[in-house]
Amino acid sequence: MSKVLIVDDTAFMRKLLKNILFGAGFDIAGEAENGKQAVEMYKELNPDIVTMDIVMPDMSGIDALKEIKGMDKSAKVVMCTAVGQEKIVKTAIKLGAKGYIIKPFQGPKVVEEIKKVTGA
Amino acid sequence: MTEKVHLRTPAKLFDGNWMDAELLITDQTLSIGKKKIPVNEIEDLGDVDVEGVEAIRIKKDGETIIKPPEKIRAQVFRFLAFNLKADRFAVYYLDSATVGGVVSSGAKWEKGYFSVTDEGFWFLSPKKQQKMLFDNIGGVVKETRNIGGKQRKVLVLSKVKKGQVATSLLMCPETTLEMLENYITRLIETHKPQIDMTETEKEILTLVYSGLDFVSIENIVGISTDELNEYYDKLVENGLAEVVKVRKEIELTPRGVTMVGNASK
Repeated sequence: MSKVLIVDDTAFMRKLLKNILFGAGFDIAGEAENGKQAVEMYKELNPDIVTMDIVMPDMSGIDALKEIKGMDKSAKVVMCTAVGQEKIVKTAIKLGAKGYIIKPFQGPKVVEEIKKVTGA
Repeated sequence: MTEKVHLRTPAKLFDGNWMDAELLITDQTLSIGKKKIPVNEIEDLGDVDVEGVEAIRIKKDGETIIKPPEKIRAQVFRFLAFNLKADRFAVYYLDSATVGGVVSSGAKWEKGYFSVTDEGFWFLSPKKQQKMLFDNIGGVVKETRNIGGKQRKVLVLSKVKKGQVATSLLMCPETTLEMLENYITRLIETHKPQIDMTETEKEILTLVYSGLDFVSIENIVGISTDELNEYYDKLVENGLAEVVKVRKEIELTPRGVTMVGNASK
């Protein structure tokens, strides 16, 4: 099953995503709480897919996406966004994000999007 | 001046129980049984199920519940909706442009009127009379969107539709748009539940929205079954959630244990 790296600065959101994805049969490769950590963990863990929050301290999700795509063009990154952040999502898609999931998360939608991107 | 009769038909009126009554709608008055309601003073209306009967609820000095014959129900509803006592603004409306973050392929711009009543917003067109309750509207924001190849300012209304966040777009002259944005924002704020919630309560609410089950929520939040039950009770009391299922926890009796023993042999 695909390995997921969850990136979010809120522990609660990480737990929530972990629960949803683990429940759907995905393996959780790791959790990062900012963009910088996400880049490091991506190198180290080589996950199949990354769920990336956008607004985070130290390094934003957009900057982390750029760095990850710079290292690995085939990286599959799905952005986590709130309603009304469509502009940022468009930017992320242009930078190579494979999809996005909307906060507050709805379990079935999250699983559907991740499966779509991973081809699971 | 004589009133122009639009409709005269046998119908039903609910007044504690259903009774037969004649429904008469003129350009000025709706009469049914002994009730007379000036049509342009109707404050709001909506669909309602009363004792299994799909009826129309008319709000004016209390509520009047009527059931016109099915074949003209839509016609009656449309007439009343277009005559609601409320300001109306000519708009273009794109209903459910996105649902659950996904762009709806079937959504189309419609020309009509946007109207505000005590209970919510209406979009009125000959084909559609749609009501959005304030309780279901999350927010409104002005944005610039590419529409038909032109950059246009629109209002983006986010609402909850069948448990999912949907956004609808509203387009009208810019001065009206700004006025509507302020007006709608104020109304949404006024109708927001005035409930002080703790961080844990907010988390539980989010987890329920995400579709997680009781045990998962217990584990994520790190609380006991009894504690979570208490939080659930509070959410229900505050009208933020409703009970849809009550689960049972059971313990085997000695007889049950014996049965398990026998079944395992």
